[in-house]
Amino acid sequence: MKPSTVKIKKTPSRFKHQVPKYKVTRSNACINCGTCAKSCPYGVHERVEGHNKVNLPIDYKCIGFECQNNDFYCVAKCPRKALSLSMNPMYETLGDYRWTADMITGTWIMAETGYPPERKDLEYNIGNSGGGFDKLRFKFPSGRPKIDKFEISTEIPLNRRNDGRPNVIISTPVYGGGMSFGSVSLPTMLSKARNATLWNTFTCTGEGGYPEMLQPYDHHVITQVATGLFGVREETIQRVRIVEFKYAQGAKPGLGGHLLGEKNTESVAQMREAVKGTSLFSPFPFHSVYSIEDHKKHIDWIKEINPQALVSVKVSTPNDVDMVAVGSYYAGAHIIHIDGGYGGTGAAPDIAKKNIAMPIEYAIIKVHNFLKEEGAREAMTLIASGGIRTAHDLAKAICLGADGAVIGTAELVSLECVRCGNCESGRGCARGIASTDSELSDLFEEEWATQRLVNMYHAWNVQLVEILQKFGMKSVRELVGRTDLLEHIDYSAPR
Amino acid sequence: MPKKYHIHPKVTPLNLDYVFKFNIERGENCINCGKCTRVCIYEAHKRRKDDPRKMADPNTVVCRNCFRCIQECPRGALEKSLDKDFLNIGGSYWKSDMFITLWKQAEDGKVPVTGAGYRGPFTGSGFDGMWTDMSEIVRPTRDGIHGREYINTSVELGRKLNHLAFDEKGKLLSKVHDTVDIPIPIIFDLPPADLSPNVKAALIKAAVELNTCIVLPADDITSERKKYIKNIIPLIAHKEVDKHQGLIKNARIVALDYTDELLSNFPAVKDKIKKASNAITIIRIPATKSVETIVSGLAQNGAEIIHIVADYRGMEVNGSSDSERRPIKDIIRTVHLKLIDERIRDEVTVIASGGIAMAEHVPKAMICGADLTAVDLPLLIALGARLYEEPEKLLIIPEGLEKIPLRTLTQRIINLMGAWHSQLLEVMGAMGIREARRLRGESGRAIFFEEIDNDTFGKLFKKRETANI
Repeated sequence: MKPSTVKIKKTPSRFKHQVPKYKVTRSNACINCGTCAKSCPYGVHERVEGHNKVNLPIDYKCIGFECQNNDFYCVAKCPRKALSLSMNPMYETLGDYRWTADMITGTWIMAETGYPPERKDLEYNIGNSGGGFDKLRFKFPSGRPKIDKFEISTEIPLNRRNDGRPNVIISTPVYGGGMSFGSVSLPTMLSKARNATLWNTFTCTGEGGYPEMLQPYDHHVITQVATGLFGVREETIQRVRIVEFKYAQGAKPGLGGHLLGEKNTESVAQMREAVKGTSLFSPFPFHSVYSIEDHKKHIDWIKEINPQALVSVKVSTPNDVDMVAVGSYYAGAHIIHIDGGYGGTGAAPDIAKKNIAMPIEYAIIKVHNFLKEEGAREAMTLIASGGIRTAHDLAKAICLGADGAVIGTAELVSLECVRCGNCESGRGCARGIASTDSELSDLFEEEWATQRLVNMYHAWNVQLVEILQKFGMKSVRELVGRTDLLEHIDYSAPR
Repeated sequence: MPKKYHIHPKVTPLNLDYVFKFNIERGENCINCGKCTRVCIYEAHKRRKDDPRKMADPNTVVCRNCFRCIQECPRGALEKSLDKDFLNIGGSYWKSDMFITLWKQAEDGKVPVTGAGYRGPFTGSGFDGMWTDMSEIVRPTRDGIHGREYINTSVELGRKLNHLAFDEKGKLLSKVHDTVDIPIPIIFDLPPADLSPNVKAALIKAAVELNTCIVLPADDITSERKKYIKNIIPLIAHKEVDKHQGLIKNARIVALDYTDELLSNFPAVKDKIKKASNAITIIRIPATKSVETIVSGLAQNGAEIIHIVADYRGMEVNGSSDSERRPIKDIIRTVHLKLIDERIRDEVTVIASGGIAMAEHVPKAMICGADLTAVDLPLLIALGARLYEEPEKLLIIPEGLEKIPLRTLTQRIINLMGAWHSQLLEVMGAMGIREARRLRGESGRAIFFEEIDNDTFGKLFKKRETANI
């Protein structure tokens, strides 16, 4: 169920054109009769009043081959057979194995409309990576669902320790990942916080300080204490409900971070309490933590400074991630946040993104089972991230044993990221999402961005509720660890 | 502590006709409004110099695929596609994208860094079916990447003793063998191609500057090249050892092509070499079906260094059908484990080559059990070469290389190796390993796809299906 603060509003792309999947070609045989313009309800063909010629087809509006069954199908209707339909070669330049062009397009539609796409020609739930989530399928029972959608709860509690600290509950089992001040533009950061507030969930500051502009949203901000301790102050820790220790990041496990001197501008330096223009290193690992006991000391420190705060521990996914999770339980953490190897980043060595530490799918099962064996599962909230691209990935992650997920790339794609991967080079993001360049960070309004995020979260929630309804569950909490509801196309016998 | 080893890259562009990934076409309905010029931050769109009223053809070389021009053109006049020539390069192993990143590394010598998460397939064959491990909290410090602690990438080549023997008075009885130290776990292996003399010279020069070695056929070692003999490994047929005494005399290492005969008479051949010098020997052996048996036989017979050579796509050679051929990753693991079983692993050095195409393949080959790797084709790709796998292997070396200054070519090879070395440090840093020698056979510090997938999904889903029956 969405909180009452969430309102869906159609929020179209900020660009004139979108990336077309199809190509509509009009040949010389066209006599500009205008039949196509009259019949196409999607606006592919336009004939402006007073013009002799029909405009060139607007490819991205075309719904593709499924239109063949419609009586208004332009290709069939054209009296001169001047129209033809094909796949647009441009579409191949969008997306990759993990985030396919269909998945990006589907996410854009969700951010625009607030609902999953109605088009049947987009495979937006599953990527093309050939492993992990992309090979898992739900085993939905046959028969009609018996539960009303309005009875289904997507809330999850984040404090299960019963330690007298507040039980923070989020309305949808997803929150926004840490993106630091400097790595993304201020409108991006603010719209993430506003969305988190409207959805009664969280966003995270990342490492690099707590911009004052976020203060109105304190109640929905997680502040990060990472290895460089940049911008960490007593008051920032005291102002939030959750503090996150970042040990490592899935995209670059074991490597730490590096902010180039030229990116360390006046405002960034001030926020980080550093000298302007110097390169800043976030080392790896925490130089004060070489054991679980050291780790406990850290957690105790936060708990002492803010007696109301929950503590989250963010780690990547090496072989011993299960041990680290149990250690975090004994150290007193509330949330163990595991960030898989295929997670997002503003900049990381390609060799690290591809090769270091395991994909999140394996880690979830590993950690869930080990926490169970140690009798600690009930007291911990297990959050997965690093490769959760869609609502289906989210539901699958929960079936594998997570309580909820953190997402980053999906939020940026909602703001029309094309995953070109140039976040860090030159002036930063050409699309104004991950850039602090004075010109580029001004490419969109917070209002627009907030609504796009609200819409995308809503579409995910709609899909999640549908999945729960099909399984006859009243709460997303019933889905946790239900691997029996999944099948794997390599291992499971065909049904 | 060993002397710190640094490779010094220098930006070295090569003005060659590269292939680029994207193709942008400006349609006839362009109204020359210049919107694309304003929105493109990479300057792909410019007005024509001779006629500023018109737009020039897009400069696709700089295109970074941001879609701004495409989406903001008021007329929708721009079209983009993947360049056909780009798609044709490489094949199933040497992916088109690899060439772009290898060229880039040869140009700037930097670790390739990009934004956004990983974008490739979940897993793949060979080296793509494994991940390296790291550790979060509990292992001691590893700041080597930022220079605070030194990560040593040097390896030792040569035979080592299984144990030392002493007499009653505690005096050392064993004779410790000679070994050769190189500062990176990479030697150069000359790719089989018709190379111009300055390309060969650049390869030798780069090996010298990097302080590693290059394997060169004995006939290629002209008198002019002999001054670099300390960094050259002459490759000779074992029957011609006598003929090449002169070369062997000054070399630190010599390489012999494997023949069945060598299996039994290696000690005799070694004696012959010994007469000329203290050079240690590499036996170069194709990665055939029975390679592990031969390697074990050679090791038992006193071999010092064994170089296992897979095909250019890192696959077993002379195998029966494609599906039965093993990738080099599995071959090295088998060889390594067999030598361990026979308790002679530490006595021989194993070099792996064939299909070492990216920096990550070096630590991965070592984790699988190689002591070091030999690299071939990437050295030519650094000079702008292209490779096509289909319909058959075809290596295209850019025309005009012979006119390019030797320094430029040499520096590009050094740049590539510099980038690889830095990437090796990243992986070792994350693993918490500060000695490249300790990478060898550390398969417990890696994650293998078949094992983990079967252990998690296999266990979960196979078991249930059987139970249902």
